[in-house]
Amino acid sequence: MTWVIHILNGVAYGMLLFLIAAGLSLIYGLMKILNLTHGTFYLVGGYIGLTVMQTTGSFILALIASVLAMALLGAIIERFFLRRFHLDELPQTLLTFGFLFIFADLSLWIWGGNPLMLDEPEILQRSVPMGYYAYPVYRLFLIAVGLAVAGGLWWFQEKTRLGTMLRAGVDDAEIARALGINVSLLFTLVFAVGAALAALAGVLAGPVLSLYPGADFEVLILAFVVVIVGGLGSLRGALAGALLVGILDDFGKAFFPEFALFTVFVPMAVILVLRPTGLFGRR
Amino acid sequence: MRLVVDIERLAVTVSQAIFDNRAKATVCDASMRSPKSRGIHKGNAMTTRKTILCDAADARIGVTLPGKQLARRGALRAVAIAGVAALLLGAAPFAARAAGPIKIGVLLPLSGNFAVLGQQALTGMKIYLDQVGNKAGDNPIELLVEDSQGKPDVAVTKARKLVQGEGAQVLTGVVSSGVALATNDYSRDNKVPLVLSADAGVTELTMPGPLANPYLVRTSQNGRAVGAVGADWAYKKGWRKVVTIGSDYAGGLDVDYAFGQEFCSLGGRVVQAEWSPIGTADFGPYLTNIDRTADAVIAFAPGADGLRLARQYSDFGLKGKLPVLDLFGTLVYEPNLPQLGDATLGMYSVLFYTPMLKTPENQSFVAEFKKRMHFMPANEGPNGYVGAEAIVDAVKAVNGDLSDTMKFMAALRAVKFDSPKGPISLDKYGQVIQPMYIRETEKVDGQTANVPIATYKSVDQFWPYTEAEYASFKYTYKDAKNAMTDCTRLLAKK
Amino acid sequence: MKARVWPFIGAVAVLALLIALPDILRPYYVGLATRMLIFALFAMSLDLLLGYAGLASLGHAAYFGVAAYTIALLVLRAGVDSGIAFPAALVAAAIIGALFAPLALRARGSYFLMITFALAQVVWSVAFGWRSLTNGDDGMPGVTRPYFGWSLDNTTSFYYFALAVIGIAALLLFAIVKSPFGRALRGIRESESRMQALGYNVWRHQYAAFVLSAFFAGIAGALYAYFNRFVGPEYLYVVQSAEALIMVILGGAGTLLGPAIGAALIVFLEDFVSSLTEHWVLVLGVIYVLVTLFAPRGLIGLYVDFRQRRALK
Repeated sequence: MTWVIHILNGVAYGMLLFLIAAGLSLIYGLMKILNLTHGTFYLVGGYIGLTVMQTTGSFILALIASVLAMALLGAIIERFFLRRFHLDELPQTLLTFGFLFIFADLSLWIWGGNPLMLDEPEILQRSVPMGYYAYPVYRLFLIAVGLAVAGGLWWFQEKTRLGTMLRAGVDDAEIARALGINVSLLFTLVFAVGAALAALAGVLAGPVLSLYPGADFEVLILAFVVVIVGGLGSLRGALAGALLVGILDDFGKAFFPEFALFTVFVPMAVILVLRPTGLFGRR
Repeated sequence: MRLVVDIERLAVTVSQAIFDNRAKATVCDASMRSPKSRGIHKGNAMTTRKTILCDAADARIGVTLPGKQLARRGALRAVAIAGVAALLLGAAPFAARAAGPIKIGVLLPLSGNFAVLGQQALTGMKIYLDQVGNKAGDNPIELLVEDSQGKPDVAVTKARKLVQGEGAQVLTGVVSSGVALATNDYSRDNKVPLVLSADAGVTELTMPGPLANPYLVRTSQNGRAVGAVGADWAYKKGWRKVVTIGSDYAGGLDVDYAFGQEFCSLGGRVVQAEWSPIGTADFGPYLTNIDRTADAVIAFAPGADGLRLARQYSDFGLKGKLPVLDLFGTLVYEPNLPQLGDATLGMYSVLFYTPMLKTPENQSFVAEFKKRMHFMPANEGPNGYVGAEAIVDAVKAVNGDLSDTMKFMAALRAVKFDSPKGPISLDKYGQVIQPMYIRETEKVDGQTANVPIATYKSVDQFWPYTEAEYASFKYTYKDAKNAMTDCTRLLAKK
Repeated sequence: MKARVWPFIGAVAVLALLIALPDILRPYYVGLATRMLIFALFAMSLDLLLGYAGLASLGHAAYFGVAAYTIALLVLRAGVDSGIAFPAALVAAAIIGALFAPLALRARGSYFLMITFALAQVVWSVAFGWRSLTNGDDGMPGVTRPYFGWSLDNTTSFYYFALAVIGIAALLLFAIVKSPFGRALRGIRESESRMQALGYNVWRHQYAAFVLSAFFAGIAGALYAYFNRFVGPEYLYVVQSAEALIMVILGGAGTLLGPAIGAALIVFLEDFVSSLTEHWVLVLGVIYVLVTLFAPRGLIGLYVDFRQRRALK
């Protein structure tokens, strides 16, 4: 039974990591931007969700509000700032780092420095008894949401017209433009969707991880690890990387507690040494 | 030619007025040229200290040499000096330094993840200083606050700035232990009084040994006393086999090791010791692993980790099955309690403070703190308050004359007063002696609160041992990882 | 001819200013200037890799920190003389570079960034976790400064020591980038395949740049350990690496002078602004955004643009 719980745990944590990393991977896939504000969208999105939740008491409203707010913020940052530096990595880095700083300080100002925990919806506030153990239902819910988001993104990329345009844009932006695809609109849209995914993760992770100053950077690093292991810009890679990191983290902590510090970075380094582009990455 | 000399004088005067210049460097150099300090050098730590003193002395000597000597230097240089002086005028506010108020340099993290700890300690200090009208007797008090960012290298830079740049006579604050160690070195080398009044709990700072510093006192806490008292109470509660979960950093090892040692010496045993890295997002694996046949779980996880552990403990259905004793009140941290709902109900914790104390000192403090911060105080607020009170009392005892540093240190170590934490005094090493409270988290007026259920009066840093008994143990908390579950090691004598 | 005279005069003026600095500034600011110089060297070392070889590293703190830790470990654990530890620290940094380079150089672009990041984090984990050796998160206080016949214990003398070491290192860096090797690196940055076709061994050039860059970062790290008399795991952490990256970009990658200016500016601003307001993080963030918008090539880019515009007239 312990094994079942450990696997369940690893998968649940992995799904959370997938939600955190999916947006980063999506944005990189199309635009080749390593978006350092990703953790910011997560944290500010989470905070906005928390405030909405506290004022309205509705988890759904909190999700919607924070997703919309961060999509808007993402669109603004892309349209008015990042747009000027397409494929120019260095200014992109400085710019996104600047925004990371700005929003970190603003949110410390607004929401204070104490870690804040969102409440999960009432129906999910329970545990399933499992023999000697109990397992929180909210984590099972996270697994379900993670799978749904992964499925949704796959369907969007493979089955919709927009997804086809997106794939064309990923393959070759110039040709896509020549084919009459409005690539610049596509960029804004994808950046907004990436930001929205981060906000979704922020609200969903709120009841488990809590929100606090510095979480933006920690989450960014976790997302980095996931996309590195899985391969940059690949949806499949993000999912595989997230599950692998989640399960390794759980088993490492449980069975090799002396090496708990190394459960994240050592496997990452090993994978990169064996496959420099991650599990599913393309050059 | 005459004109040139005059310009030079003007330039020198300007730069002297704004910056420490040549004159002081000369004084410092002269003292260093003394054969004594030359002779013993060669990597000798003593001389190291002596010569650094120059830095600190530089800042305070206010003498200037007459322009005569300086006038001999080339005019070009003077023009350069004047030019740069003008260029750097923007930095002038820092240079202002006058006799007058007693300047207290505060080193606290005010940005990043520790910001809220720094803000609480600072609020505590300000509450006390406002209460006494920002005066120690007749001497006005001025707080100079710098953001240490919780990083030792930044903190040392800021300490230098406060002391050399702004003339701070006492340093106080300090949250993380790395910062405490680096600042301790700075204080010892430069003979600057340091009053640790925030979270930094490195136990050996205030014990005889390589870190001992005559210019240090700590009015806040140390790691081990809390752990030892927790063990005593846990044993009396009837627990014999416990599991520990501690944050994997120096502070966590210190607290848990003290618990394990005292628990063993009473006859109990730690059957399982888990160490979670700082910033552990998911405690699931640890919670799943916990030995369900144990009597209790002993937890220590400061910051966001504590909030997560408290919540996840309840989510994993452990609440109510395995009781929790929280060393330092990290899971039941007062600012976090409102968000945890009922998850923390029934948890026990041990700390040198609880806002539920019914003393007049505490009740007026809690009211003021809530007004300023909008949440209940935990340990940082009262610690900041007590640190400020100790400094003010000591300043009064020496009539505002801090020129004799050792006399001031003696006054600091002699302070004794009733505080929000309870009766406070210091031992001969400068470590606080204060009460410890066992608290239980209960509903009070509809809100969870840590209600005191037992008190250990005046706990000193070696509690319950004498200094000699404590010194006879073979291992220290640095060996915690190999010793926690092994009573023979925990109790081994030298 | 005129165009060549001004930079020379500028360099002499800056040097004169740097030498006169302790006469002008209060000791605290001399300490701050020392910090600015150390980080200037750190940023320049990264620029060799990022600006000239075109390889963006997010793991440069590894070499900086390894050198600092080597000093602390040798002095505090092995009782080695502080001065003798200095060359050992540089060798240690270069060895780590030489070990990491073959792993990292299998990738390019963002993947290179990620691998260097991962490897540096492993080093950080070791420093943080190996408590019996490194004291873990508490770090190691009590590092002594070297004694070369005169004491480096006061602010001014250490400043001159750092200035001399960093001056020599900077000259070497300038010599490297002006050498045929440096030109080849820039060629490789522009087009690897072309340089390959021209008969250059691309990998070997990049490898050399990587190791040299680690070596120079090691000099900065060793000086920093002396300067603070303290080392801690934050020297190795990704925040330190990211800060170096930002310093290079802010100043202008590929110019050496730019990153040095960027580093000095950031160190100064962090110190200056954080004394004025708790919200210094916000101020720095706004500065980064503004610099990106108005000087996307970095601060030095502004000057270059200005020169070009004048030349066009």
